[in-house]
Amino acid sequence: MKKSNRKVLIAILVIVLGVGFLIYRGLSNTSVYYMTVAELKTSALGQQIGPNQAVRVGGLVVADSVDYNQRELVLRFALKDEGNPQQTLTAVYKGARPDAFEPDIEALLEGTYNRNSNLFEAQTLLVKCPSKYESEPKKEKAL
Amino acid sequence: MIIFGILSQFAALIFTLLAMGLFLGGLGRNNLRLVEAGKRGLLSATAATTLASIALGYLFLTDNFQVEYVASYSDRALPLFYKLTAFWAGQKGSLLFWAWVLSLFTSLVIFNNRKEPDDRNTPYVYLVLAATLGFFLFLLCAVSNPFDTLGFTPQDGNGLNPMLQNPGMVFHPPLLFFGYIGFTIPFAYAIAAMITGNTGADWIRKTRVWNVLSWIFLSIGIILGGQWAYVELGWGGYWAWDPVENASFIPWLVSTAFIHTAIIQERRGIMKVWNMVLILLTFSLCIFGTYLVRSGVLQSVHDFGATGLGGYFLFFVAVVLIGGFYLLAESYGEFKTPGSVESYLSRESTFLFNNVILLALAFATLLGTVFPILSEAVTGNKITVGQPFFNQVNTPLFLILVLLTGICPLIGWRKASVANLRRNFLRPAASAFLAAIIMVAFGIREPYALLAFTLATFVGGTIVQEYVTALRSRKKLTGESSASAGLKLLWRMRRRYGGHIVHFGLAMMVVGIAASSAYKLESQGTLQKGETLTIGEFTLKYEDFRIYQKYNRTVYAAKLGIFKAGARIDELEAERRNYINAKQPTTEVAIRSTLVEDLYVTMPGIGRNNEITLKVAVNPLLIWIWFGSSLMVLGGILAIIPSRRKKYV
Repeated sequence: MKKSNRKVLIAILVIVLGVGFLIYRGLSNTSVYYMTVAELKTSALGQQIGPNQAVRVGGLVVADSVDYNQRELVLRFALKDEGNPQQTLTAVYKGARPDAFEPDIEALLEGTYNRNSNLFEAQTLLVKCPSKYESEPKKEKAL
Repeated sequence: MIIFGILSQFAALIFTLLAMGLFLGGLGRNNLRLVEAGKRGLLSATAATTLASIALGYLFLTDNFQVEYVASYSDRALPLFYKLTAFWAGQKGSLLFWAWVLSLFTSLVIFNNRKEPDDRNTPYVYLVLAATLGFFLFLLCAVSNPFDTLGFTPQDGNGLNPMLQNPGMVFHPPLLFFGYIGFTIPFAYAIAAMITGNTGADWIRKTRVWNVLSWIFLSIGIILGGQWAYVELGWGGYWAWDPVENASFIPWLVSTAFIHTAIIQERRGIMKVWNMVLILLTFSLCIFGTYLVRSGVLQSVHDFGATGLGGYFLFFVAVVLIGGFYLLAESYGEFKTPGSVESYLSRESTFLFNNVILLALAFATLLGTVFPILSEAVTGNKITVGQPFFNQVNTPLFLILVLLTGICPLIGWRKASVANLRRNFLRPAASAFLAAIIMVAFGIREPYALLAFTLATFVGGTIVQEYVTALRSRKKLTGESSASAGLKLLWRMRRRYGGHIVHFGLAMMVVGIAASSAYKLESQGTLQKGETLTIGEFTLKYEDFRIYQKYNRTVYAAKLGIFKAGARIDELEAERRNYINAKQPTTEVAIRSTLVEDLYVTMPGIGRNNEITLKVAVNPLLIWIWFGSSLMVLGGILAIIPSRRKKYV
């Protein structure tokens, strides 16, 4: 291999190592566990999650549990486990109620969970666009 | 019409399979007449997919809700325009759309090549195109048929999701598709080149227009998606690093890398293997993106849900990658190149660094996107990363990329001389440095924003300096006026200046992104009529409230007077809309855009006595993102306008 080629290869290697470091640091700083409501409440790993540790939880919004204060923009609702609907938690999200948010919809929350009060304080709230076609068993929706 | 659609689809599949057989036969017997017949088979398939598409369009227009797909995405009250565009609102229709466009593109290739004698590559090119088309037609006929009926006819359809009733959203998916589909053509040429061992820059030269065109489509698609999110979703941003967004961004990054090293291969005959790898990756990432969106494996705000198609797409990607890399290994001997990169300080090496960074961005984005799947496979627990990951990792990489954008186009080939460096970079670097000092003096201290502004100034400086120098020498040579010389220069050397315009647009975008994310202001409040809300220099006054009917919706609108320094400068109307068929009211964003800042208003709540709750943001320089991205697209278009002499595919 030519000497100049080797020099360029070394430079690329340095860049690749730098990128590897960035990714490693990014992952260790920002990754959070994703769990269902039941897993967060009952699994061994879920039990270990402390009250200040960020975690992402997914579940279904319980019908009749939604309480939206549109003056203060605080959204409160109960979230139940999809497979195990007895397991629920209370979620609070400070922000505008997303347009697609409605009872029985699948919601993803990221925030912190207080085990004693069963309260999930969500920093982010994502809702999946609802399937508009209920008689169809498969869920299909537009982009 | 339903039967007609089904039959057309089926006929298209038959024609495509027939064409594949003819190409294979032509190759086996070395018979060009069979290849000719195969081409005619593909043209017939195009006619058939066109008829199928017309059939589906007709079913939408005539409100034929017996068809499940039409019932799912349309209703009687839907405006005519959206009835037509509901064609690709769901996955079955978008599959048909995909097949239709691919067949049209294929026919275009056949048409453009009509005067060129077929060479050894041709049958392979068409074979790959036909196989890809066949894959989509198979899915349409056997797995996901848009002409499936319900067995009964509902009174009305379910309607199109109100969030999709927006012009940006109407054109976002098809343009992305054009981009994805367009890359099939360079991919087909690359495969053909590997099979025949014809690995020079020929395939690159022939497919350059398709490459850049697909890149342009992909870019417009991504920008429209961002713009749609900004004006329609109302959370105030334009990009959330959502898996579906990433699925389009990753192939964009890799194809950008490919466009750059393709130039090196054209000019210097090196990086042949690398380019093959890049086009294989680009194409498979396009398909993989489609897989991600349709498989339901990822948690995304707007995926298609689990549709049972995922497996097929994954299989297709596997075939492409395994087959592609097998061919690459087989033909490796053909790729031995005499040249090499000679110095750190050369265009070749900076292009290579630019490639490494682009691929690193693509890799990091892909990793972040599929991390939940990977972590679950390895540890049994799903671990996710969100926006912070992408911002932390990608921002520094992007800044390096911007720096390279300034350096790459102007540094000398092979080995840059000191004179070359001084001539091209001294003044831009000095002005960027000066700009940085001024910005610090004016209180701009956010490190990333400051760095972004400085680098963007540098990039802009290099481009302006190069253009002005060329303009001066042209004026001296021809004695033309500045305007005429300037335009002629752009036109005569459009490939070069097209590239520069793309880079200039990128620099503008970077400024807009940095300013609007580092210096965003946000506020919220609840107002009675007559009350005000202040944000930055703006004061919003709630002046009036009205309710009215329009098309398929009821609109609740609050009129807001915009005051600056005590004077009423403008007004905005914030809306909530109730669409027929929608359970929830939707928020309409009101935006006042100027070159300096966007005032961004949403109304998440309407209470008793028409009391309104407002969320307001000021996004500095946000419009620069749209200007910059539009320039990128225009530059790309300029770069591919063919000159009369040149032949392309």
